Amino acid sequence: MTDPVSQSNSRNGLVLSLRGISKSFGAVSALTKIDLDVHAGEVVALVGDNGAGKSTLVKILAGVHLPDSGTITFCGEIVVLDDPAASLRLGIATVFQDLALCENLDVVANIFLGRELDPWRLDEVAMEIRAWTLLNELSARIPSVREPVASLSGGQRQTVAIARSLLLEPKLILLDEPTAALGVAQTAEVLDLIERVRDRGLAVVMISHNMEDVRAVADRIVVLRLGRNNGIFHPDASNQELVSAITGASNNAVSRRAERRQGSREHSGEPRP
Amino acid sequence: MNGDKERRATSAPLDRADERIRHDAGLAGATRAFLDRVRSGDLGALPVVIGLVIICTAFQSLNPVFLSSNNLVNLLFDCSTVGVIALGIVCVLMVGEIDLSVGSVSGFASAVVGVLWVNMEWPAWLAIFAGLVVGGAIGALYAVLFNRFGMPSFVSTLAGLLAVLGLQLYLLGSTGSINLPYGSPLVNFGQTLVMSPAVAYTLAAVTGAVIFATAFRTAARRKRAGLSARSLGSLLLRGIVITIVLELVVYYLNQDRGVPWMFGLFVALVVAMNYALTRTKWGRSMNAVGGNREAARRAGINVRRTHMTAFVLCATFAAAGGILSAARLASASQQAGTGDVNLNAIAAAVIGGTSLFGGRGSAYSALLGIIVIQSIASGLTLLDLSSSLRYMITGAVLAVAVIVDSLARRSRMSHGRA
Repeated sequence: MTDPVSQSNSRNGLVLSLRGISKSFGAVSALTKIDLDVHAGEVVALVGDNGAGKSTLVKILAGVHLPDSGTITFCGEIVVLDDPAASLRLGIATVFQDLALCENLDVVANIFLGRELDPWRLDEVAMEIRAWTLLNELSARIPSVREPVASLSGGQRQTVAIARSLLLEPKLILLDEPTAALGVAQTAEVLDLIERVRDRGLAVVMISHNMEDVRAVADRIVVLRLGRNNGIFHPDASNQELVSAITGASNNAVSRRAERRQGSREHSGEPRP
Repeated sequence: MNGDKERRATSAPLDRADERIRHDAGLAGATRAFLDRVRSGDLGALPVVIGLVIICTAFQSLNPVFLSSNNLVNLLFDCSTVGVIALGIVCVLMVGEIDLSVGSVSGFASAVVGVLWVNMEWPAWLAIFAGLVVGGAIGALYAVLFNRFGMPSFVSTLAGLLAVLGLQLYLLGSTGSINLPYGSPLVNFGQTLVMSPAVAYTLAAVTGAVIFATAFRTAARRKRAGLSARSLGSLLLRGIVITIVLELVVYYLNQDRGVPWMFGLFVALVVAMNYALTRTKWGRSMNAVGGNREAARRAGINVRRTHMTAFVLCATFAAAGGILSAARLASASQQAGTGDVNLNAIAAAVIGGTSLFGGRGSAYSALLGIIVIQSIASGLTLLDLSSSLRYMITGAVLAVAVIVDSLARRSRMSHGRA
């Protein structure tokens, strides 16, 4: 199962390296001896079924949970991420699934939330310029940064959340289900966005359930199953391979369904783009 | 539209590059933007202005004394006391909480001042300071209950309403009320002290000039930075209009006694709070916590500290308002802070446009709201209506105000404006 894909991809510097990360909540082992490498300028997709431990892993990296054992090496140094501020300081930015934006505040205020310039006399002009610079770097299409976030579409909000994570010049960005709530066009926009972030030399870890999205942007696909590593794949791996790694069986609901459809049609294979 | 195209053709400002957005320039554009805002439920000060026009027309037609200089000066004296309390309410409403005990806290603070100053003969300033500290301590207690035990502010402050009222009665116990000495600076401040005409005219002119100067500097900075900015003409026009209106108001009030210093203090507090809420990092975090507590927490804002400052400020303002009203009445009595003080303060903040649901409001809503409430009270008093009717009418106005707030909120949500 374990392809040696990771070696071929280490052309850039190693940003993050996890070794033997374990985490249990009471009697439940959420993560068991997880290894993960992420390089600069690389998108790593983290996939797995519900309960596979993806979000726990992201929360460990975001400083929300402490791992029970194992080491986290960030930019060549072993680090302890014991609170969200520690992660932010190191340069690990997280875009949470629910985005965590304040809808009553405008785009500039959201991007700079908690990190305003000039605390006793907010420098709105400088903040607005920086916000536009960030958004333009992402080729974002936001009409006005002085509108409350409530008036933005899902894709635009995602852009704001990503722009906010870029404000602190991070080295690693964690994206939890960045396309889960988005429409077709907006999903494409966010995927473009992820590619642009990667092209700026940042390391990206993306969680997603959508295999198409994963294949579209990921350089490597890391599969978790029941809290353990269950293979690393190239994005051109077949759907069948991925699904059996995710579900842990070659005979599963997805493959049976695919077989049935193949049987009923004469020529067509998998419905792939 | 033409002007827009030209601007894009040469070099569009950084924030005007997107062609989808309509840019409202000039007077017509400003009007259109205003109508759009109102239609989407972003009412701002509009309900207050409409309300005031209705109130003034109604009461003026019933009793021509209503709009006389004399009555308006009295109105401003009365506004200042509960207005300061309402300013505190704005703080807690901003973070989506409530303080139902502001009336009791104000009464208690006035009792503290009465006992310390008159009975124990402390210096007045020290007694006032002690009253404010006691108020702040009560607020801090609410914040601890909220932060540590997750006690809803609704319940903790309701308990506080009773407990603090008990403290007030205990302090005043034997005598029932303490008269503050007539002729003392504090009582003069609350009852008679007005600005001399020269001072009032100067302050009005300075206000207009400062508003213009700050807006002009911002516009210049924005232009230098390549952002769109308001034109010099519109800024000048606004500054001049504001100055003229203020001077006219001052002139009219000067026909009688003049502008009360106590009202001056209230307005100064409102302006200071407005600056703090809109132009500082603290104010930004207040807005953020009220809008989305979890998002604020994840952005690294210390949510507990923000709550602490909100509750402490609210109770301190309540104490300040109580001391001012003791000065106004020249007594600290068992009745101080009871009755409708609580609800008038909350109603003022809500009528002025601060949302009960958090994350939306401004310090000016305390000023606007209390003027509405006091106008109604003053008009009904002039009509010599019994307090039973006054309560009913004030209650109805509050209900209407909350309905307007809820409807506007719903409309804002459906128009995507939070």
